[in-house]
Amino acid sequence: MTSDKFLGIDWAAFGIVFAVAFAAAVVIVSFYALGLRLLAVGSDDDTGADGSIVSTARGTRPLGATVGAFACLAVCVAAVLYGLYLIIPQFH
Amino acid sequence: MDALITVLLVVTIALVFDFTNGFHDTANAMATSVATGALKPKVAVTISAVLNLVGAFLSTEVAKTISQGIIKEGDGGVQITPTMIFAGLVGAVLWNLGTWYLGLPSSSTHALFGGLIGAAIIGAGFGSVDFGVVLSKVVLPALFSPLVAGLVALVATYAAYMITKQARSRGADAGFRHGQTISASLVSLAHGTNDAQKTMGVITLTLIAAGYQGAGTGPQFWVVASCGLAIALGTYLGGWRIMRTVGKRITDVQPAQGFAAETSSAATILISSHLGFALSTTQVTSGAVVGSGLGKKLATVHWGVVGRIAMAWLFTLPAAALVGGLAAWIASTSTVGLIIVAVLALAGGLGFVFLARRHPVTHDNVNDVDEDDSASRESAPVTTGKA
Repeated sequence: MTSDKFLGIDWAAFGIVFAVAFAAAVVIVSFYALGLRLLAVGSDDDTGADGSIVSTARGTRPLGATVGAFACLAVCVAAVLYGLYLIIPQFH
Repeated sequence: MDALITVLLVVTIALVFDFTNGFHDTANAMATSVATGALKPKVAVTISAVLNLVGAFLSTEVAKTISQGIIKEGDGGVQITPTMIFAGLVGAVLWNLGTWYLGLPSSSTHALFGGLIGAAIIGAGFGSVDFGVVLSKVVLPALFSPLVAGLVALVATYAAYMITKQARSRGADAGFRHGQTISASLVSLAHGTNDAQKTMGVITLTLIAAGYQGAGTGPQFWVVASCGLAIALGTYLGGWRIMRTVGKRITDVQPAQGFAAETSSAATILISSHLGFALSTTQVTSGAVVGSGLGKKLATVHWGVVGRIAMAWLFTLPAAALVGGLAAWIASTSTVGLIIVAVLALAGGLGFVFLARRHPVTHDNVNDVDEDDSASRESAPVTTGKA
């Protein structure tokens, strides 16, 4: 037990916190971004390199992209609900 | 009679500390949302204040464990008196106001620990503080929190930009703003369930120590309600100076960065407290903002500002300890000494407020970065962002 308590820190616990937080954040952000990207399929990019709006044209989006987008966003909604579950002690 | 005066003073300063805690930490959850325009400044602080109030009522379990934690870490078994708690809180409040004046995000928890440690040293000697515990519970986590959150946010930001073609795909900016509002709200709620409880714990501890409440009982309803209201009011009035630093000065936060930073913060805070390795909210969010600056191509991180924040973190504990120790030294002499400390603390606090009045930062100008600012002088090329 002494080896993984160097300087009084539980390094194993620290490592798990880091790994889980890293995975959770990157997965959620990626799914959300992917959802947004899929919603934009079929339309021209609307933002230029300098951040200005360059296009107002809205194209048609294939059904597959719409379904995929909502599946991605559903993952994020589930993550938020799990976050609320963790915060509110009455739930567990 | 003397005991009653002490208890009244402790309850008052504890609520003032709670207020400055909310005031200081509004920036944690809402600075990036305000900076990206996801939420109007007034709307952002209102949401954060309501969620902090709700959070304060959700649980009192943390208040019980935290009050016990402080007593053990502060003195290692020595009897802590209400006077020492009072002196510790004076140190914490003055440090919070000082860093607010300088616009630096610093951990209110560390200020509280620092103040109590200083008061314990004066009240019971150096032997009363377990410096090993201080190192493992305060100093080292302070080093890791921003690194962990920064690294997570860096990769998350990079992924967000890569997937959305550098946020140029249709509706990406608007989408990230909506997402950011939700993750920032989660950070606020988590903050409310933790930070208001620290003050509840301190007040309950004092009431028990003075014999007004039975040992082993939880916080009374008026304590829970007043702590929740104090932190919510502080949050609502908003530490705009700190928000400007976090949202605009570290790096000019754009929607995708704001979303990645807040989501990383929320994930890190929730997971760390759930797995029993609690990390400081302030340090996690500040680190995440730096990470989001590094994760975006061509974004500038103002290392001068980051350095100032790091210095503030380094000094938080010793500085609050120094003030707490001085306050304990004067206050423990007599009731008159105690009142002198209260008056001096009030004068010091008002001093910072008047200093701040000379260069006010409000909800109207929170996103402006003016050229004559000391922080922007240090880091010459300040990009004002898109108008």
